[in-house]
Amino acid sequence: MAKYYRNKENIIFDTVVVLLVVLVLVVCLVPFMYVLSASFSGPKPLTNGEVFLFPKDFTLNAYIKIIEYPNFLRYYGNTIFYTVTGTALCLVMTILMAFPLAHSKLKGHTFFMKLVVITMFFSGGLIPKFLLVNSLKLTDTVWAILLPSAINTFNLIVLINFFKTIPRELEEAAIIDGMGYFGIMRNIFLPLSIPALATITLYYAVYFWNDWFNALIYVKSAKYPVMMILRNLVVGTMQLDVSNAGGEGDTVSIAMKCAVIVTSSVPIIVLYPFLSKYFVKGLTIGGVKG
Amino acid sequence: MRGTTAKNEQIREQKKAKRIAYWKQYWVMYAMLALPVAYYIIFRYIPMAGNILAFRRYVPGKGMFGTEWTTRYVERFLKDPVFWKAFKNTLVLSLSNLAVNFPIPIIFAIALNELRWEPFKKFAQTASYIPRFVSTVVVIAILNEFLSPSSGFLNMLLKEFGIEPIYFMNEAEWFRPVYIFSEAWQFTGWNAIIFLAAITGINQDLYEAAEIDGASRMQRILHVTLPAILPTIMVMLILNVGSILALGFEKVLLMYTPINAGVSDILDTLTYRTGLRNSNYSYATAIGLFTGVVGLIMVSLSNYISKKTTGESIY
Repeated sequence: MAKYYRNKENIIFDTVVVLLVVLVLVVCLVPFMYVLSASFSGPKPLTNGEVFLFPKDFTLNAYIKIIEYPNFLRYYGNTIFYTVTGTALCLVMTILMAFPLAHSKLKGHTFFMKLVVITMFFSGGLIPKFLLVNSLKLTDTVWAILLPSAINTFNLIVLINFFKTIPRELEEAAIIDGMGYFGIMRNIFLPLSIPALATITLYYAVYFWNDWFNALIYVKSAKYPVMMILRNLVVGTMQLDVSNAGGEGDTVSIAMKCAVIVTSSVPIIVLYPFLSKYFVKGLTIGGVKG
Repeated sequence: MRGTTAKNEQIREQKKAKRIAYWKQYWVMYAMLALPVAYYIIFRYIPMAGNILAFRRYVPGKGMFGTEWTTRYVERFLKDPVFWKAFKNTLVLSLSNLAVNFPIPIIFAIALNELRWEPFKKFAQTASYIPRFVSTVVVIAILNEFLSPSSGFLNMLLKEFGIEPIYFMNEAEWFRPVYIFSEAWQFTGWNAIIFLAAITGINQDLYEAAEIDGASRMQRILHVTLPAILPTIMVMLILNVGSILALGFEKVLLMYTPINAGVSDILDTLTYRTGLRNSNYSYATAIGLFTGVVGLIMVSLSNYISKKTTGESIY
């Protein structure tokens, strides 16, 4: 970096830059703060619009109510199930495909690569995919949510590119020692690819945790993830607090809605900082060009 | 004669041995590929083939590829004013979103790079990624609360200034601004990553040289930083133009109300409504196929232009 002089021009410049970044941060974080404080606030300040960054008339009422709400815990459990099994399935499938595709000596390598890349340009579209899931008789099973998204092509390419950075000598040495490719993958490639694996794990987990559209079109309400509660609230087909529904003063449901937002987003936001130290590395080394 | 046959035999033997050795070493790889390739064929290529439903009559229970050939669906949508309206809405929303949300991450990345206190820079970067990780439905739910006409924070603020409450999430004229703002909120930090990476790669000597020449920091941004990241900007711009039809479908679907339908009905939501709400599968597939084909042409074209002009492409 060039030498820094504390003159008027630099001070103005720095102030502008800091203000700009602070503005972005405020815009990014204020909606979260608002929802968080609203979820802990009492009904009166909420109706009067007095709640902003800090809760008023602190209460846990909204959280107690949503936990008692029929199906909330069940849907939450469904979300955890989809996230854990979906991420595990995706990881296995992605690794199984990325490892061979990182070896350009493999016969048919170009063919398999083309098979993958073509899907980035053209896809089946919503209706054919829907009809396929129907024809496979997957509708209203958990497989309808897990199987169609078993490999994300972007994540696959991130992992392939990361695998390609691992020195070939390690592999050659292992082959001389009589190790097979499965062992090479497990004992050499996977331990060296923690940053890339952490990155794609995060992406897959976020995808399954946040997904609601597949649940909407493929499964019935018993298999809904928690995001479907929010979706039904947003499109207005559901009221959380029936006794208060409709009226201008249904403030309990404001706090309850916010409590649903908080409970359904906190796990993913908490998970993120733990993985973020890996993922910039995983992304920059393995990232797709452009 | 006999000598050459024997030689040929020998060569064949050698080739065979080589082949056996190859398979002995590599069969594991093909075994690994079996499941993923099956996945690609079943869940990616069969739906791709399923697009022929656009030219086939769908009969319930008779399979996803329809029963007989017909061009009525294609003819119908080409004459359908609802389709052209959705097409226009898609383009307008996408282009206005691009106009706003393309420059913002670049400015943010440059501002981040000019921050002189490293911990703050790290914090700002990490915090700005967070909205990218919450669900679309959470984003819309938050906006609903924040913009609510009866209790939302923004309308309370407007009230202080004597402005009547605005029902942001329902009024047609507010649909596009709210959508664009929500995209900025979600993706500014995330989209800045690529530009920040490009800025980090700039040779520091250039800045020193500029400083010796008496360039102010603003001039250094204009004459060193911007030209250095121009190729990245161009590639991203071309690619963004290429994916012009790919909007945040889930978000638009959640923001769609009968009142704002005139501006919020895009190609994807039209496909969803005709296909999955009204079970008009063939007609919806025709619209979906149109979107897919135009998207394919746009992406290939932009990729080609990008490759020709900057040498960069997505594959």
